[in-house]
Amino acid sequence: MTIHCRGEELILSKEKAIYWPSKKMLIISDLHIGKSAHFRKSGIQVPATIGAGDLARLGAQIELYQPEILLITGDMFHHTINSDVALFADWRHQFSNVKIVLIKGNHDSLKAEDYADLDILVQEKELLMAPFRFIHDKPKVADAYFNITGHIHPGITIYGKARQRLRFPCFYFSDTCAVLPAFSAFTGLSKINPDEGAAFYAITPLNVVKV
Amino acid sequence: MGIEKSKGFKAVLKWLKTSKKKPFSFQSDAWQYYAEGYCGLVNAPTGFGKTYSMFLAVLIEELNRQADLPAKDRKKIDKADAGLKLIWITPLRSLAKDLARAMREVCAELEIDWTIGVRNGDTSAADKLKQKKLMPEVLIITPESMHLLLAQKGTSNNFKNLRCIVADEWHELIGSKRGVMAELAISRIRGLVKIQSPERLLRIWGISATIGNIDEALDVLVPYPELLKVIVKADLEKKIVIQSILPDHIDMLPWAGHLGHKLAHKLLPIIYKSKTTLIFTNTRGQAELWYQNLLKLDENLAGQIAIHHGSIDYELRNWIEDAIHTGVLKAVISTSSLDLGVDFKPVDTVVQIGSPKGVARFLQRAGRSGHSPYETSVIYFLPTHALELVEAAAIKEAARTQDIEARQPVVMAFDTLIQYLVTLAVGDGFDDQQIFNEVRETFAYRELLPSEWAWMMQFITTGGESLTAYTEFSKVEKVDGLWKVISRQIALRHRLHIGTIVSDAMLKVKFITGGYVGMLEESFITIIKPGNSFTLAGRVLEFIMIKDMTVLVRKSKLKTAVTPSWMGGRMSLTANLGALLRKKYNEALDKTHADEELDIIFPLFERQARVSHVPKDDEFLIELINTKDGYHFFAYPFEGRLVHEVLGALIAYRLGKVKPISFSIAMNDYGFELLSEQPIPLDEDNIKQLFSPDHLGEDIVASINATEMARRKFRDIACISGLVFQGFPGKYVANKHLQSSAALFFNVFSDYDKHNLLLRQAYDEAFYQQIEEPRLAAALHRIQASKVIIVKTESYTPLCFPIKVDSLRENMSTEELGQRIERMTAEADKKSERQK
Repeated sequence: MTIHCRGEELILSKEKAIYWPSKKMLIISDLHIGKSAHFRKSGIQVPATIGAGDLARLGAQIELYQPEILLITGDMFHHTINSDVALFADWRHQFSNVKIVLIKGNHDSLKAEDYADLDILVQEKELLMAPFRFIHDKPKVADAYFNITGHIHPGITIYGKARQRLRFPCFYFSDTCAVLPAFSAFTGLSKINPDEGAAFYAITPLNVVKV
Repeated sequence: MGIEKSKGFKAVLKWLKTSKKKPFSFQSDAWQYYAEGYCGLVNAPTGFGKTYSMFLAVLIEELNRQADLPAKDRKKIDKADAGLKLIWITPLRSLAKDLARAMREVCAELEIDWTIGVRNGDTSAADKLKQKKLMPEVLIITPESMHLLLAQKGTSNNFKNLRCIVADEWHELIGSKRGVMAELAISRIRGLVKIQSPERLLRIWGISATIGNIDEALDVLVPYPELLKVIVKADLEKKIVIQSILPDHIDMLPWAGHLGHKLAHKLLPIIYKSKTTLIFTNTRGQAELWYQNLLKLDENLAGQIAIHHGSIDYELRNWIEDAIHTGVLKAVISTSSLDLGVDFKPVDTVVQIGSPKGVARFLQRAGRSGHSPYETSVIYFLPTHALELVEAAAIKEAARTQDIEARQPVVMAFDTLIQYLVTLAVGDGFDDQQIFNEVRETFAYRELLPSEWAWMMQFITTGGESLTAYTEFSKVEKVDGLWKVISRQIALRHRLHIGTIVSDAMLKVKFITGGYVGMLEESFITIIKPGNSFTLAGRVLEFIMIKDMTVLVRKSKLKTAVTPSWMGGRMSLTANLGALLRKKYNEALDKTHADEELDIIFPLFERQARVSHVPKDDEFLIELINTKDGYHFFAYPFEGRLVHEVLGALIAYRLGKVKPISFSIAMNDYGFELLSEQPIPLDEDNIKQLFSPDHLGEDIVASINATEMARRKFRDIACISGLVFQGFPGKYVANKHLQSSAALFFNVFSDYDKHNLLLRQAYDEAFYQQIEEPRLAAALHRIQASKVIIVKTESYTPLCFPIKVDSLRENMSTEELGQRIERMTAEADKKSERQK
C-alpha cells in the first residue's frame, strides 16, 4: 500500500517494512537478531529457524525493492553476540552492496567493533532526513520533524458485528509521528492509544489494510 | 498378632480415654492395616477424626518400636534413626498450621519426642535452613514444596528413615496437575528409599472425602502392584441440612448475574442467630464485594466480619483463622481458601453464594459447620440469579441420594513431567533409566512411550528434535553420569517457578507506612492510575505507586471503590448435576415435585413457556433470535460448560461447512450460543445432522483447530514447562531479555516444530482431558433421540439471557480472511460514522 506523508511517498509492505522510493531506502524496526539464541542459552526452547525466517524475509524485501540503504530504527540485536548473530553475518555477505544504518535502540549493546565487523553504520541517537526524524522511541517534545519510530511493537484489534474481532500487527501514523511494527516474528504485540486523527494500517497475512 | 495387645495401642487408648473418647472402628481398622504393612485410603466424612486414623497409626508404631528397644542401646539407635519419619501432604497452606498444632499436642500427651515441621510457600527462609540441617520427624508439606525439596542439593539423604507418606484431602488433589506432582514426588521418594534402605517398607496412605471413583483414587495414589492396599471406609453418616434462601417473589432475582446482592438482607438474620457463619463465594472478587455489601447493610458488623482468600497476606490470613478459632468473628467471607479440613469449632452455619457447580464441593463446604461427630451440618444456599434455584433443587436431590461425582485424574501431562525432570536436575541430578522406570510406574504416566520419554529428554538437554534448530541450547547436562542443571541462574529461575497453578503476574500490596495487605494481578494494576482507589482484603486503598515490584497504597477516604478481578478458572457443572437439572426442568412445569425452589421459580418458567418453551428431558430446545447484534442460535443440552465449549465449536464448524460464516461462541452450564452477523443456515431438516455423532472424532479435531481453545490451554502448559515465566509476588525476576508469551510460543512451535509434544498436549487438553469423548457422544445420542423444538422469537428469553451476557467468547470462522476483514472494517466504519 502506498501512502503520502509530509509530501513523501512511502510504500507500506505487508512484510512489516516501509520503502521510501525517493531515497531508495528500506526501513524496518525491532529485528531482535539473537533473541532466539539468547533464549536457548538460558534454557528456553526456541528454534533457530525463527531467526533464519526473519532474515529470509528481509532478504526477499531487499530483492523486491532493491534499496541502497537498509535503515533499522533500533533493537536490531537482542542481546549479545551468539550463533544467531553468526547467521546474520553470513546473510550480510549476500547483501554486501546494501548500506545498513542502525539507530540504536534499548537492546542494541554490541561493541563498536562488532558493528564495524558486520558493516553496520551506527547512529547513537537519531537520523535526521527532512521531513523525517528516525529514532527508536518517540521524543517527549514534538518539533517540526515527523518522527518515525519503533520500540513498542504496535498491534491493532478490529471489532466487527456479532462480537467478532481480529488482531494484527500494524503501522501507526498520527500527525506528528509514525510507529513501525516489529519486523521479527518472535515478538509480541502491544496496544497503542491513538491520537485524534491518527490512522492504523493493519498487516494481515494477505495485504496491508487501512483501519 | 492383633494390634490390640501392643503397648502402643494401649497407650493411645488410655490417652483417648482421658478425654472420654474411644476410637471409631474405621480408625482402629486403619491402625491395624497400617501395622500389617498395608497401604490404603481412608474414606470418612469430615469431623470424625480422619487425621487421627493415620497419624495415630504412625505413633502406635513408634511407641511399639520404643518399647521393644533395649534401654541401654536406645540413644545410639535413636541417633541412627533420626530425621524424617512421616511426610504429610496437604493441598492447602491454611491446613498446615492447625494440623501441626494438633499433632504437637498428641505427641506431647503420648510423650513422643518428635518435631513437627511445616513446609510451604509461607515457611520462612530461616525455618527452611533449619530443616535442611536436621529434618523434623514429621513434615507437613504441599505438593509444590515437595518438589522444591527435591530441587535441593543433598536432598536424597532426607528419606533414609521415612516410614510413611500420607496424602491428606486426596480427593482435592486427584483431579489436578497438583495431584500429578504428588504422584511424581512419591515415586521419587519411594525410589530413593528402595535404593538406600531396601529392607524398609514405605507405606503410602491417602485420606479422602467421598467421591464417585474412590477405588480409582486409591490406584492413582498407590499404583504399585507389589504393595498390599485397602480402602478403609467409615460406616458413619454426616447429617446435612440444606436450606435455600428464597426471594419473596421471583422478580427479586435477576435473570443473570453472579452477585446476588438483592437477597443480602435475608442473610443478616442468619448471621445474627448463628455463632459463627462461613460464607463461601466462588471468586475472590465476589468475596470482596460481599464484604463491602454486608457492611453497608449493617455498620455494626464492622470488626465482627472478616474476609479470607488466597490473595490476602499470610499474616492477615493467620489472624483471621485464629479469630475464627476463638469465636470473636460473627462471619467470614471466603473463597475455596477455607474449603478443606480446618476444624473451626465455633462455626455452626455455612452459606454458599451462587452455584457450587458440583455435589462433592457443596457437601465439602457444608461440612465446615458442625464439625464434631454426630453434629448436624447446616448450609444455606443463596442464589445469584433465578435459574440457580433449579440448581439448588438438583443439589438437594443429589445430596439425598449421595450421587457424588468422580474426579478424573490427570494423565500424560507432559508439561508437569518436564518440570519434574528439571527439578530433579536442579537437585542432586538423575539417572534417566532409573527415573524412566519410576515415572512409568505412576498412574499418570503408565502409558508413556519410550519415544515420548526420548523426546522429553531431548527437550531439556538439546532443546528439541533437530539439533541445528536448537544450537547453543543449554539447560540440563550430563555430569558424572547424572543429568544436572549447572547454570545457577537457570536453577534459580526454575525453583521460583515450580508448581502447576498458573496465574497472571502477581504484585504484593503494601501500606506506604509498612505492613502487607495482599496480592494483586499485574494486569489489574496497569489499568488504575495513582490516586485511584480499589478494595482488597475488605479495605478501600488508594494507589500511590509501584516500587520494587510492590504496590504501595494508603488508606482511602472513600467508602467504596472498584474491586479487582482475579483471573482463575471457571468451574463447570458436573455431568451428575446436569442430568439432575434436566429432570428438575421436567418437574418444574408439571408441579410434580416437593421443592420449594421450583415453586418460587414457577412464574419464570411460565414466562419461558409463553415466549419460547421449557424443555422436558426428552426434548431438545433451540432458540433462534434476531437482534441488532446479529443472528443468535441458542441450544440447551444442559451438559455443563466444558461440554458446551466443545459442542459449540463443533456445531459452528459443521455450520461453517454449509456456507462460509463467522461466529462468536458463548456458553454456560445450560447451553451455548452461536452469534453471527449473517443468517445461520439451519432448519428442521438439517438440525439432527448437525448434532450427529457420526464423524465425531475428526470434526472435533477440525473444530478445535479452527478455534483458540488449544491456544488457551497452551498458556498454562508454557508456564509449567518453563517456556514462559509467570511473575512471583515479591520475587520478580527482572530479566526483560527473557520475557515472552505463551501465544508466541504456540505460533513458533506450530510453524517450526510441529511435533512438539507440548503442542499435542494443548490439543489433547482442549478435548480429551476436558471432557471424555464418550460423554460428548452420549450427549449427541441423547439429542438424536430427543424431540427437537425450534423456537423463533423476537426477544431474549429467561433461558438464553445468562448465556448472552457472558463475555468470555470463542471465535470460529470459515469465511475467507480477506473478505472477513473487508466486511469487518466496513462495519466498523459504519459504526463510527453513526457515532458522529
